[in-house]
Amino acid sequence: MFLHLFIVNKSGGLIHHRSLSSKAPKLGTNEWLRIGSTFHSLYAIANEASPVKLPGNKKNGADDGIEEIQADGMTLNCFQTRTGLKFVITAEPNTTAAVDLGQILREIYMLYTDCCLKDPFYELEMPIRCELFTQGVENLIQKYSRIR
Amino acid sequence: MSSKSSAAANGQALWAKVPKANAELFALTYGALVMEVVSDSDGNVDEINEQLEKIGYSIGIRSVDEFLAKSNSPYCKNLEETANVLGKTAFKMFLGINCDVQIYNPPTSFSLILHDNPLSLFVELPDNYKDTLQYTILYCGVIRGALEMLNYKVECTLIKSTLRGDDVDEIKVDLKNILQDGAGEDYQEE
Amino acid sequence: MSRTPVNILDRPLGGRGSRAETQVSLSAFSYLYSELVQYHQNRVDSISELERRLESSGYDVGLKILELITYRNREYKREIRLMNILHFVSTQVWKAVFGKPADSLERSVENTDEFMIIDYEPLTSTFCSVPADFGQLSADGYMSGIVAGVLDGAGFSARVTAHSVALEEGEANNNNTNTSSSSGGAQSGNNGSLLPPRKEKAVFLVKFSPEVLERDAAMDR
Repeated sequence: MFLHLFIVNKSGGLIHHRSLSSKAPKLGTNEWLRIGSTFHSLYAIANEASPVKLPGNKKNGADDGIEEIQADGMTLNCFQTRTGLKFVITAEPNTTAAVDLGQILREIYMLYTDCCLKDPFYELEMPIRCELFTQGVENLIQKYSRIR
Repeated sequence: MSSKSSAAANGQALWAKVPKANAELFALTYGALVMEVVSDSDGNVDEINEQLEKIGYSIGIRSVDEFLAKSNSPYCKNLEETANVLGKTAFKMFLGINCDVQIYNPPTSFSLILHDNPLSLFVELPDNYKDTLQYTILYCGVIRGALEMLNYKVECTLIKSTLRGDDVDEIKVDLKNILQDGAGEDYQEE
Repeated sequence: MSRTPVNILDRPLGGRGSRAETQVSLSAFSYLYSELVQYHQNRVDSISELERRLESSGYDVGLKILELITYRNREYKREIRLMNILHFVSTQVWKAVFGKPADSLERSVENTDEFMIIDYEPLTSTFCSVPADFGQLSADGYMSGIVAGVLDGAGFSARVTAHSVALEEGEANNNNTNTSSSSGGAQSGNNGSLLPPRKEKAVFLVKFSPEVLERDAAMDR
């Protein structure tokens, strides 16, 4: 039911991407980089174009950018942290009935803060290569995939 | 102030939940790090202070995300609220200490007053460094880094230090300016 | 009117409920340790040099920790036998510094001068992911330095090195919660439980100096 996960840093660079199930379409690295920067720009445009600002920011995210995209083939959920990092997950349309994608993104954010930011071998804004993080995400996705 | 007390209550709740480590190990580890910096700087105190502040900055830019992810703190609308969250919630959550927050007038500066300083446990500055080495300048860097990630550009100074004979540690934070997010600028209407 | 600052030598050190039990968050320690590792990493040319530097950082800390623990432990009688000091290190020192006793103490089969202290969840590498191109680097060199400092201070000079060893199937089954985590539990939402279980354990290899072994053997006679 899950398709892809990607994480975009403050400057629009892609720092992490992975497919979350075998159903997810395979994409090349260049395509991924394009997706990352395109989404980053779309998010900023949406923020400027939005006719109504959320009053007093009802949630932890900072700006009013893209939160969710619902399409025929998939649904996309985005969580931007107040530090400008975007966590984006795509899933098959029926997934949202069973799981809260926003909650998954928030838990991935927590994994990021633990496994990447405390890792002395991880450099900020760079692609994530932390084994602990990838394993943690793997376990998290498996846990949520079991919920039907 | 309701903002201060709810920040404090949140801090207390978070502190109760987080995994802990021994404070003495923490202090001794910092001591080991300071000694490395001192020996690499050949006695140049300004360089030592600068290096320690930079290390703090590196911690600040990393720890702020953890705070945001785990603390569920409400959005801060002004510097005063930020100061309360920083002093009452963040410092409590990470260090287990209770700070006093003092907002100045005009509210572009605030001070954090620490009665308990985990970094300076067991520390005594030798005479040749007593007035010049800012041992706990690490906090200044942490605050500067953390607030910069939230678009506040600040300058932090160690106003009082127990290692110099004062009875508390005081860190003064001055707001220099508020940065705007860069991404949207290209798309704004002229 | 500010009170006269108390001379550091007059401040209380030991006893129950004192400084000994003061804590900070594991996060605070981890960030600080990460900075220590990064600081050294930027100044070395090789992996082994990084390990040596971490060990040397820990050494002085070990000497101080030995003094602290022995001072506070009222019934402390100075250990003069090898097995006893090893036991002291793997239980008392580990508990005081890392929050729990070490998971096991073993003697090497091949070498009589080597012992191993095993920790399934070493504190310093809780959040570390050593990159593949760093080879066999263990991020726990600091801990081995501490052990070396304690042993040396107690009169048992030894070379202590940290090694990451893959866990075998079924090993460490009881250790599912993180080190010094408050009330375990694996519900989601508990900050500690999102971390995946570790795949490696830390083995601290203690190789005693020949004089120490001779001295200990002499006491058997």
